[in-house]
Amino acid sequence: MSEEQRANALLPTNEDTCGPYFPIYFGDDSLEDLTRIHSGVVAGASGQHIILRGRVLDRHGNLAHGVVMEFWQANAMGIYRTPGTEGHPDIDPWFSGYGRLRSHSGEYSFCTIMPGPAPGRAPNITVTLFSDGINRIVTQLFFADHPANDGDPLLLGLDPEDRDRLMARRDGTAAAGAEIYRFDIVMAGDNETPFFDDLES
Amino acid sequence: MTKLGRQLGIGPTDNTSDQRTPRKRLRLIPEAVRESFVPVVPARAVTRQYEWDMTRISPDLPRADGDAIEVSGTLRTADGKPVRGALLEIWNANHYGRYRHVEDHSGLKLDENFFGMGRVLTDYDGTYRFWTISPGAYLARPDIGRWRPKHIHLSISGGPVRLITQMYFPDEPNNATDPMAILMGDAFGRNMGKPYATPDIDVDQGYRFDIVAGGRNATFFE
Repeated sequence: MSEEQRANALLPTNEDTCGPYFPIYFGDDSLEDLTRIHSGVVAGASGQHIILRGRVLDRHGNLAHGVVMEFWQANAMGIYRTPGTEGHPDIDPWFSGYGRLRSHSGEYSFCTIMPGPAPGRAPNITVTLFSDGINRIVTQLFFADHPANDGDPLLLGLDPEDRDRLMARRDGTAAAGAEIYRFDIVMAGDNETPFFDDLES
Repeated sequence: MTKLGRQLGIGPTDNTSDQRTPRKRLRLIPEAVRESFVPVVPARAVTRQYEWDMTRISPDLPRADGDAIEVSGTLRTADGKPVRGALLEIWNANHYGRYRHVEDHSGLKLDENFFGMGRVLTDYDGTYRFWTISPGAYLARPDIGRWRPKHIHLSISGGPVRLITQMYFPDEPNNATDPMAILMGDAFGRNMGKPYATPDIDVDQGYRFDIVAGGRNATFFE
């Protein structure tokens, strides 16, 4: 935005908490498993299937029940589906890269594909949390032991402890061949996950 | 080191806010990776035909208890552009302050004619409209007598626009003590519905709620 545009900008509506009762009714299976479109449809995303599992914890180490999680990632070729990549030859027509779920307990499981490395980046997934008590907080997870982590500009800006807190770790293989990764999020307190500011940045 | 951004506020008298609000300041995102923090929500046509009228469960069933209201307005980005085809997921408590949600254990009265959840899309010019029942306030902290003022939840997603917010009602006695209103400070008025008369439609009152999606994400690809 230019200075003039900034001066004329409309005042934003305040974000607000989703509260404890984000409707489970609004859930959508196709956003909780990005590897396929629907069980009855011959179509699915390209790439290695992965299952991301973990817990979202509060300041006292208790599960953050009722949390809404959103995921955003590149496809297996490292391409994000945005207005900027329209018509790109490596777009996967069966993969949008956006997922959402609401966890009753604070434990979650999200099926997707391993994101490819975007140019200059290590493979990563952006995670947005909405819940009672907060408005919206955002972080980005990486895959432990991936060689590109050492050169990732986001990770390079963090101290080693925080870098470590953004690592999803391999935890076996599911029966159908999906690689399982564990990633816990600590919303506050000791061992707090680093969160990023997309309003001031 | 990554430079530091906002320090998030904790809602006064809100225990969950105390438990879940990050204590460290947010980190600023390096420009080289900024784009990766702009989720683009795909268009999903998941509205159902009658969901815009939440005053009844379906057109052949009776009206729910309480005052029927219309909420209408526009969805725009901060540069004034309308956001077309965005999904508004709406939920609010019934006239008695109860949600039809399996985790609402308040014991307040359920209304068999009120579902309390609906979805609409914004039009070509960014406008939207829905009907619902004016929600009841409810006692959020019985131990200290703090009420949640009347409010309607809106979860808005469309392309790079993503926000969850609430519309409040003017002149409500509990507005001033609401933790989220306190955190908004002087900006609380932006989340207030503006009453209008509805002589020609079958509701008791209208509220205009123009929504502006702020932040850089909303206009990132323009």
